[in-house]
Amino acid sequence: MVLEALGDRTRRQIVDTLRRGPSSVGDLAARLPVSRPAISQHLTVLRRSHLVTYEEFGTRNVYRLDTTGLEVLRAWTDSFWQTVLDSYADRVRADRQESPQNLPELPQQKGLSDA
Amino acid sequence: MLNQPGTIEPIRKVVTVPASTERAFELFTAGFGEWWPLATHSVGEDKATGVVFGEGVGGDIVESLADGSTAVWGTVTRWEPPHLVACTWHAGTPVAQATHLEVTFTAGKPGETLVQLVHSGWELRADGEQVRSGYETGWDPVVASYARQAALSGLPG
Repeated sequence: MVLEALGDRTRRQIVDTLRRGPSSVGDLAARLPVSRPAISQHLTVLRRSHLVTYEEFGTRNVYRLDTTGLEVLRAWTDSFWQTVLDSYADRVRADRQESPQNLPELPQQKGLSDA
Repeated sequence: MLNQPGTIEPIRKVVTVPASTERAFELFTAGFGEWWPLATHSVGEDKATGVVFGEGVGGDIVESLADGSTAVWGTVTRWEPPHLVACTWHAGTPVAQATHLEVTFTAGKPGETLVQLVHSGWELRADGEQVRSGYETGWDPVVASYARQAALSGLPG
């Protein structure tokens, strides 16, 4: 899961580093305060979440960002706001039922108040 | 959708609600704590006790937690009732990584208001400078948003 993969600070740093361009495991280990085996483990998690991908160049694996995972994140954020707005709309509808006087003026209402 | 590397389209959501623009705006802002899905969409989740939307430019959106602490989600940048409210949005992340939220309220059919939400600024850099193009930009705030969403969804950090 994308969010779980990014729940770790080091993995976020790896993604941030790869944003600047593809890197080998060795390059990443040199830039970040984490051991090479640890970097490899983090890359495996990121790869499973489709946040990074790699290509083999001889004996080196060069990692780069994979936008698939980012699209998943965007969809997640989109659903986040959908839930929020649904909740808001429910509140407005409840308001209408509780407090009919809050309704904007409608012809029908006018008729009722005249009665 | 993602477009070119380094930029991300704003998220746009629309909902039509059965209320005047004045009431829709009031419920969105002053009534924020009445409808926000706090149990699932907050820093504290089950430990969150409330959230308030500060009125006027400079007002903060503040979550209260059971231990007495607070978490600021953003600060109002535009306050134009009943048509528009905008704020920074950085729930769960440092202020410097804020994205931007804008909500507009437009009269629709009689008795209805169209509420449009735009969550943008994914390309804002940590230094606050907005860089619009190129491969150098864009991913920082995406990563920041991960952190925020992770925090908001209560995932282990």
